[in-house]
Amino acid sequence: MERWIRGSASTTAVVGWDTVVVTTRLRECWSAVRYLVVGAGTSLLSMFALTGLFAVLLLCPFGIGIPSLAPMIRLSRRPVGVDRRRAARHLGEPIPEPYRDGSPLKDPATRRDLAWLAIHAATGTIIGALAFGLPLSALQQVVFAFVWPSVPGGIEGSFGLVVNSWPTAGLSVLIGIAMAASFLLVPRVARWKAGIAQRLLSPAPGVVLADRVAELTATRAAALEAHGAELRRIERDLHDGTQARIAAVVLQLGIADQLYERDPATARDLLLKAQDTATDALAELRTVVRSIHPPLLSERGLAGAVRALAERSPVPAAVDVEYEAARPAAVEAAAYFVVAEALANVTKHADASKVDITLGGTASLLRLEIRDDGRGGADEAVGSGLAGIRRRAEAFDGTLTLTSPPGGPTVLRVELPCGS
Amino acid sequence: MRVVIAEDDALLREGLALLLKTAGIEVAAAVDNAEDFLAFIEGERPDAVVMDVRMPPTHRDEGLRAAVRAREIHPALPVLVLSAHVETSYAVELLADGVGGVGYLLKERVGKVERFLDALQRVAKGGTAMDPEVIGRLMARRRAADPLEALTAREREVLGLMAEGYNNSTIAELLVVSDGAVLKHIRNIFAKLGLPSDEGAGHRRVLAVLAYLGRDAG
Repeated sequence: MERWIRGSASTTAVVGWDTVVVTTRLRECWSAVRYLVVGAGTSLLSMFALTGLFAVLLLCPFGIGIPSLAPMIRLSRRPVGVDRRRAARHLGEPIPEPYRDGSPLKDPATRRDLAWLAIHAATGTIIGALAFGLPLSALQQVVFAFVWPSVPGGIEGSFGLVVNSWPTAGLSVLIGIAMAASFLLVPRVARWKAGIAQRLLSPAPGVVLADRVAELTATRAAALEAHGAELRRIERDLHDGTQARIAAVVLQLGIADQLYERDPATARDLLLKAQDTATDALAELRTVVRSIHPPLLSERGLAGAVRALAERSPVPAAVDVEYEAARPAAVEAAAYFVVAEALANVTKHADASKVDITLGGTASLLRLEIRDDGRGGADEAVGSGLAGIRRRAEAFDGTLTLTSPPGGPTVLRVELPCGS
Repeated sequence: MRVVIAEDDALLREGLALLLKTAGIEVAAAVDNAEDFLAFIEGERPDAVVMDVRMPPTHRDEGLRAAVRAREIHPALPVLVLSAHVETSYAVELLADGVGGVGYLLKERVGKVERFLDALQRVAKGGTAMDPEVIGRLMARRRAADPLEALTAREREVLGLMAEGYNNSTIAELLVVSDGAVLKHIRNIFAKLGLPSDEGAGHRRVLAVLAYLGRDAG
C-alpha cells in the first residue's frame, strides 16, 4: 500500500516535472527571441550611432567636429543605455552605469561603449533575423513536404532545395527538424549576447575598485575629521571643566593647610568647599565619559544599553534584538549614539506615540532600524539631527536611509560594517 | 553591625573599611572581586553589604549580579551598591524584588560621611537609599500630560527626598520645615499623583513612589 502510494506520487512528480520543464523551456525561448528580435532594432540604432560618430570624426580635421565630439558620444550613450537595461532585464541582475562625471572623451567607459556598438551593429541584425526566421523556416519546410503534390513544378524551400518528389520532401522535413533543433540554441545565444553587454556596459573591474578606493578615501577623511573634532571637544571639556575644578580643589586644600592652625573654623569650611568642588568635577567627568563611551555599553553590551535608552525615552519605545554579537567598541558606541540621537529627534519633532527599535544584521554588519508612528515628513536638510546621524554612520563607512512620507511612518535605517 | 565590603579599587576599599571602623561598624570582610564575595556570603550572613558594580574579571556588571545572587542566598540581605555612575535601569533591577534593604549611591557620596552612614543604617534596617541623581533622572523623564507638572516646587523636593528613602522627620530636617508641613505636602503629592495614601511609612512608601517614577521603565 505504502509502496503503491509512493510509486504513484513519484509518477505524478515526473509528469509534473516534464510539464514544468517544457513550459520553462518555451518561456525561455520566447523571452530569448524577444530579446534578440528587439536587439535587431537596437542594432540598427547602434549603426546610426556609429555612423554619426564616424561622421563627426571625419569632420574633426575641419574644426567643427571637435566641439561636437563630446555631445555625439553622450548621444550614443542612449542606444547603449537601452541595451544595458535590456541585458539587465534579460539576465535578471542589475548592470550599473559606468559613466563618470567629466569629459566623456577621458572616460574609460567610452571605449567599452564603442566596442559594444561595433559588435552589436555587426551581429545584432543577423542574429535577430535568425531568431525570428528559424522557427518560421522550420515550419515552412515541413509544410512544403506535405503540400508539394498540389503545386505544379514543386516548391523551392531554403538552401535552394526544390521539393518535387517524396525523397526531396523527406529531406525538407529533415532540414525543418534541424532548424527547429538549432532554434533550441536561441536562449543560449541570447544569454551569450546579454553576457557580452553585461561585461562591456558595466563598470570595468578596475574602475569599480578605483571608485571604491575614492569613496573610502573620502569617508576616511571624514572619519578623521570627525575623530579630530571629537578629540578637540573632549579636550575642551576636560580642560575647561574637570581640570579647572581639580585645580581649584588643590588651591582650596592649600589655603586650608595654611589656615589650619591659625583659623581652624575657616580651614574646615574650605575643606568642605574643596569636597563640593571635587564632587562637581566628578559629575562633569561622568558627563564626559558618557559622551565618549557610555559605561552601560561596557557593562551590558549594545542591546542592554539601547534598552536603557528606550526606557529613558519620553516616547514609549520597544527594542527588538534580532541578532546580537560582540561588535568593535567604536561601532557599538556609534550605534548607541545613533539610537540616542534618533530618539531625541522623534521626541522633538515626530509627535509620535511609539517607537520601535530593531537591532539586527550579521556578524560583519550591524543594522539598526528606528521606526516611529509620528507625523513623518522628516527632512535631512532641515535641522542637524539627521545630518549628525549620517556623519556618524559615514565615519564608519556605514549608510543611512530615511523614508518619511508626510503623515508617517518615519523609518530610519542605519547599517554599520563591523570590519570582520 | 557586621558589614562586608566588595570593591576592587584598593584605595577606596581600605578607605571604606577605615571609615566604617571609625564609626564603630565591624568589617567582616573586604574583598576585591565578586567570586570571593559570594564565597564569603555562602558561609555567613552579614548585616549589610557594600558593593561596587564593576569588578574583575570582566569589569562589567558583576557586582550588581553578585548583589542579586547574594539576595537569593540570603533573602532581604541589605545591599548598598556604590558606583562611579548611576543608571536608572540598575535601580529598577535592584528594587525589582520589592523586599527593601537596597541602596544605590554614587561613590563620591561616601565623602559626606554622616549622610553615607545614615544611608547604610537605613538600608541595614530594610529601608532604601537612592542617589539623588537616580531620582533626578527619573523625575526628568518627561511624559505626555505629565502629572508631575501639577506638583509645586516644594512638593517635587519632598517627592524627591521620599524617593531617596528619607523618612518624614529627616525630610523636615533637611528642608527646615515642621513635621506637620511635610505630612501636608505628602498628602497633596499622593492625591495629585493618584497614589493610595495608605501606603504607610518606610520602604513600602518608597517603593510606591519609585514605582510611580519608574513607570514604563524596565
